[in-house]
Amino acid sequence: MKGLAPLFLGIFGTFAFSWLGLTVIPNWQIGHLNPQSDEEGSDVYPMPQSGMVTRGARVYAANGCNYCHSEQVRAEYSGADIERKWGDRRSAPRDYIFERPVLLGKMRMGQDLANIGARAPKEEESPSPTGGASPAPQGAAASPGSVASAKAASPPPGTSPSPATGPAKSPGAVASKPPTSPGLASPPPSKSPATAAAAAGPPWPEQTAGLPPMYSAAWHHVHLYSPRSINLDSNMPSYRFLYETRRISDARSSDALQLTGSDASPEGWEIVPTYDAKCLVAYMMALNQSHPLKEVRSAGAPAAASPAASPSPAPGGQPAK
Amino acid sequence: MNATGIPLKEPAISAAAGDTEQLERALIDASTRVPVLIFYTSAVAWLILGTLLAGFVSFKLHTPDLLSDISFLTWGRVRPAHMNVMVYGWASMAGMGTAIWLMARLCRTVLRYPLLLVAGAGFWNLGVLLGVGGILLGDSTGYQWLEFPSYAAIILFVAYTLVASWAVLMFRFRRGEQIYITQWYLLAAFLWFPWLYAAGQLMLFVVPVQGVLQAAVGWWYANNLLFLWFGAIGLGTAYYMIPKVIGRPVYSYHLATIGFWSYALFSSWTGMQRLVDGPFPAWMVTASIAATILTLIPVATVGLNHHMTMQGYFPLMRYSPTLRFTVFGAMSYTVFSLVGVLISLRSVASYVNFTQASIAYSHLGLYAFFTMVIFGSMYYIVPRLIGREWRYGSLIKLHFWASAYGIGLMTLMLLAGGLTQGASMENPSLAFSESVESVLPYLRGRSLSGILLTVSHFIFAYHFGLMLFGLGRKSTVPTFLNPVESEGAEPH
Repeated sequence: MKGLAPLFLGIFGTFAFSWLGLTVIPNWQIGHLNPQSDEEGSDVYPMPQSGMVTRGARVYAANGCNYCHSEQVRAEYSGADIERKWGDRRSAPRDYIFERPVLLGKMRMGQDLANIGARAPKEEESPSPTGGASPAPQGAAASPGSVASAKAASPPPGTSPSPATGPAKSPGAVASKPPTSPGLASPPPSKSPATAAAAAGPPWPEQTAGLPPMYSAAWHHVHLYSPRSINLDSNMPSYRFLYETRRISDARSSDALQLTGSDASPEGWEIVPTYDAKCLVAYMMALNQSHPLKEVRSAGAPAAASPAASPSPAPGGQPAK
Repeated sequence: MNATGIPLKEPAISAAAGDTEQLERALIDASTRVPVLIFYTSAVAWLILGTLLAGFVSFKLHTPDLLSDISFLTWGRVRPAHMNVMVYGWASMAGMGTAIWLMARLCRTVLRYPLLLVAGAGFWNLGVLLGVGGILLGDSTGYQWLEFPSYAAIILFVAYTLVASWAVLMFRFRRGEQIYITQWYLLAAFLWFPWLYAAGQLMLFVVPVQGVLQAAVGWWYANNLLFLWFGAIGLGTAYYMIPKVIGRPVYSYHLATIGFWSYALFSSWTGMQRLVDGPFPAWMVTASIAATILTLIPVATVGLNHHMTMQGYFPLMRYSPTLRFTVFGAMSYTVFSLVGVLISLRSVASYVNFTQASIAYSHLGLYAFFTMVIFGSMYYIVPRLIGREWRYGSLIKLHFWASAYGIGLMTLMLLAGGLTQGASMENPSLAFSESVESVLPYLRGRSLSGILLTVSHFIFAYHFGLMLFGLGRKSTVPTFLNPVESEGAEPH
């Protein structure tokens, strides 16, 4: 080849073509999406995220969770994601407009987490901004009825926490929820005035021997701290460095982990999540694409009309990871 | 003549040109000594670190509790640290070292402005060090191959600017009108990389694009880094080394032209096929799948060209370390591309999309193809910089076989494991955990292959260290893998 000019032009031209085609044009096409809302302008989805959730996303990325967990649900025709109850519709670009970083993931050594927040027991759907981990508001918010039903739905201690746990179908708790998108860490914990009373005891008084309800914030903490205490076959590393063991000063902290067996802290000590761990769990609790999108057909179309009524059912027969 | 009856010598052209050319070449080689050795030495150091990290990552994947309580040794941090050490520490630095030497040789001028390169290497090392430290301390950004926090990325970019401006300056001093094929690839790589890196950084961190486009930009970056940076350097090097060692010109310039331009055009459009069925406009994925299939054109032309050049000279691979490594790499380029096409077809992709198979693909590209070509070039270049020949042919042989078997085993394990994993993942009647269980035996097999690769890299580093301390053989005959039976083998 003679002459530099054609070489230079070709080198620039080919790359400019790719750059325009695969980044600039898509940016023009889907780079400026707005949240959707209904005719009255309410029921907005998605919503911007709270500071804790954003920080949690960074903790998630920094510790490489995205190398084993994806956050995208594929359509029915291209995979078993929906049959696996990882979501009831495929993910769409609009689901991610407030995510930063976007951690779609490329590997599934663990489950897809796109809807992990939607799988939480009902009374926990909205992590309070003071920490998805903080059980006090939840305890306070839960009506006696819902506590009772959560008890009924929780697995008997000692059994594998697989299917039964699903969303505690507590009508009381569901009804008390506004039909906004769950999982958006929303305004201050207005429901926590009653905390004082509830904070005294652990949020799951009925579960002292067992595990917290599956996919609840407390469950996530136990799972992060000791994955194999929940599922013997789990391949997930434990993230003990996100927790601290400290001496109990006067009363056991309300967010102390409920560990059993060899993981349990020695007498007079407790294991509590660090702020990063709380953010991480808040982030996971906020991962929720169960709100219907106009451009995507949901699997359970009629039921999906109201987000509150479109829970991702318990992963049937699927052990927790 | 040796047993094969094929001369082991320089291309006829240099033999005819006589002493002046030889002298000129020696002068050029001497001028590249310091900068190229700095790049090579840093690269080998990063290679050893990356190998240790890799072994750790591989074992932790099936032994999750191994040292998991220490935050900076958690799997999710060590894995990106390994990838980035290999990508930016080993592969990029070794590739730049080779590219610098080739540029000087092909521009037929002594290396000018060596300080630009020395400073570039220094900043690059600093950038990688800060970046990897940042990842281990929990500053990773989470985007594949762009995990380095911004403070490290800026330093890398400065370092790169120094090296690239040197490359452009060198081009101005070149002698002769003809621009050889290798130079097309190298010049392209040197110009594509900064654009790619800057575009990736800008669109992800400075003025971030919205939502899923971040993932799209991330994969566009990662794939183009593989093709337009490593791929281009690797192919360019192969186009130099193969004809040089066997002493025969490239079979066809026309094929080379077609190969180069189709490579530039099609491979730059790949990337989105790895997001198949993700939350993207379907046309993006389809365009990339089409481009991936079209990369078969450059694969076929480049492969054919190398094959026809080598035609009748394959027995030389018995003797020349450079040729053996380079041809292995060039063949792996074909395998890498074929696997790439296979796993991007929608019907296959829905099985292997979220499995270990994609790890096999990146290792085929970055190791079986690129790294092997670079090993080959280092076996050729280092003796010319130091004035000593490699000390032990047997060590080179061991290095080759450990690397070849290691990467072969790893690829097979990850591909087979990926298919198994994908098949159980796509079968909703099986619990998800069964898909993880099903891949674990393959991951243990992969750890075995990691041991082989570790052995190979330590052997290479030891041998390289001997050379560096001037403990190579004093000889005018290059080190062959097997003794050349008869007299008459001329030095090259």
